[in-house]
Amino acid sequence: MSEKKNIVEDHHHADDHAHSHLPSDPELRVKALETLLLNKGLIVSKTLDELIDTYENRIGPKNGANVVAKAWVDPEYKKRLLTDATSAIRELSYQGRQGENMVVVENTPEIHNVIVCTLCSCYPWPVLGIPPTWYKSDEYRSRTVREPRKVLLEFGLSLDPKVQIKVWDSTAEIRYLVLPMRPKGTEKMNESELAELVTRNSMIGTGLPKEIK
Amino acid sequence: MSRLHDMGGRFGDGSIPIPRDDKNEVINLEPTFKYEWHAKAWAITLAAGALGEWNLDISRHYRECLPPKDYVNFSYYEKWLAALTNLLIDKELISISELKDYVYAAENGTLKKFSDNDIKLDHRTWLAKDVQKTLGWGGPSVRDINISPVFDIGDKVITQNYSPNKDISGGHTRLPKYAMGRVGVIHSYNNNHVFPDKNAHSLGENPLPLYTVEFKASEIWGELAENENDGILLDLWEPYLKLFPH
Repeated sequence: MSEKKNIVEDHHHADDHAHSHLPSDPELRVKALETLLLNKGLIVSKTLDELIDTYENRIGPKNGANVVAKAWVDPEYKKRLLTDATSAIRELSYQGRQGENMVVVENTPEIHNVIVCTLCSCYPWPVLGIPPTWYKSDEYRSRTVREPRKVLLEFGLSLDPKVQIKVWDSTAEIRYLVLPMRPKGTEKMNESELAELVTRNSMIGTGLPKEIK
Repeated sequence: MSRLHDMGGRFGDGSIPIPRDDKNEVINLEPTFKYEWHAKAWAITLAAGALGEWNLDISRHYRECLPPKDYVNFSYYEKWLAALTNLLIDKELISISELKDYVYAAENGTLKKFSDNDIKLDHRTWLAKDVQKTLGWGGPSVRDINISPVFDIGDKVITQNYSPNKDISGGHTRLPKYAMGRVGVIHSYNNNHVFPDKNAHSLGENPLPLYTVEFKASEIWGELAENENDGILLDLWEPYLKLFPH
C-alpha cells in the first residue's frame, strides 16, 4: 500500500498544443479543419448538413412543449413521466443523443426547479434542442448554484421566499426537464393550445409558461 | 485542485447574457446557431467523434485541459474547435504538417476541396444516411452489470474533500469543487453508469453506481446561502461519497 501510484501526466504544455497553430479568425479555423477532414475522407458534407438541419428545424423546444402539454391533460401520462421519463418521452418518439437518461422534475406551489450544468453544457437535446448561449455562459454556470434567486430575477422571475428552489446540476449523463405548473384559466384549452404556452425557459426553470390574457 | 471549467459558485461573473426584445422582455427562441461557423464547428465535432477514436468523457477532458488563458479567452465553440484539433492530432487522424498546410491555405485563400471522386472515404466515416439512426440511439452510459449500490436512499453521505481522480494528477472528474467535503442525503439511485474519472483517460468504462445527492444550500454556501432551505442536487458516482459520520 505504501507504493506510490503510477501518476500519469497526460497534459500537454501550453506551447505543445496543436490548437496553437490554428488561425486567429474562428471562421478560418473551421474552414481549414473542415476542408482537411473532408479531403481525408473522415467526414462528409452531407452528414454535416443533415446534423445542422436536424437541430435547426426538427429537434427543439417544441418537442418538450408537447411533453409538458400532454402531462397537463393526461394524469396517467404525467405519472409515467415523473417515474420513468425516458420511456414516457419516447412514447412521443423523442429519444436518443443527450437524452438517453431523462428525469422530469415537477414544479409545485412549494417547489421551483432550475437546471444548470456547472461543469460544461449538459442539456436534454431530444426535447429542447441545442442549448442557448446564456445556458452555456460562464455567468449562468457559475452563479446559478450559489445565487439562484438573483439569477431568476434577471430572467424576470421573482419567487416567494417560502418557495423552495431546487437547483439540479447535471454532473452526469442524466438530463433534466422541468415540468412547469399549468397556468390558471386554461381549463378549456386542448393539448396543442396548451403546448403553445410552454416556453423553452419554463422547461429549464428560468421562466414560466405564458399566461393567458 | 480544480480546473477552470469547474466554475460553480465562483465570484466575479456579471449578469446572465439573456437576449431581450425592444420591450426588454426575455426572448425564448434564438436561432440554434448564431453564426454559420458555430454550426460547422459543432457538426464537425460530432462527425469526427463518430469515427470512434474517443468517447464523450475524453472530449470533455480535452476541453477542460486547454491552457487556462485559452479556456478563458475562447468562446464556446472555439473551445470545441481547439479540443477537437488536439484530439485529431493525438489520435493521429491528421498530422501537424497537414494542419499547418491547411491553415496556411485558409489564411491565403487557397484552400481547395478535392472533388468527391478524388476522396477515399475512411471505413468509419459517418454517412448522412445513418445520421438519424445514430442520433436516435445516442450513447447510453448505463451498463447492465450486477453491482449493488452501497448506499440507500436517505443515507447521509459526505463527498470527497479532494479530487476523487486517484489515477491521474489533475485528471477529469465530475465532482465539482463547490460540492467537495459537503454532507448531503442520497435522493435516488440511478443504476450503474460509465465512470468518467477512468473513461476520460482510456482506463476502461468501470461502470459504478450513480446517485443523485441533495445538499442544503446552507451546507454548501454557509451563511452566504440566499435561502438556507433551498436545495442543490448533483449526480455523483459512488467513489465520490462516504457514509457520514464515517
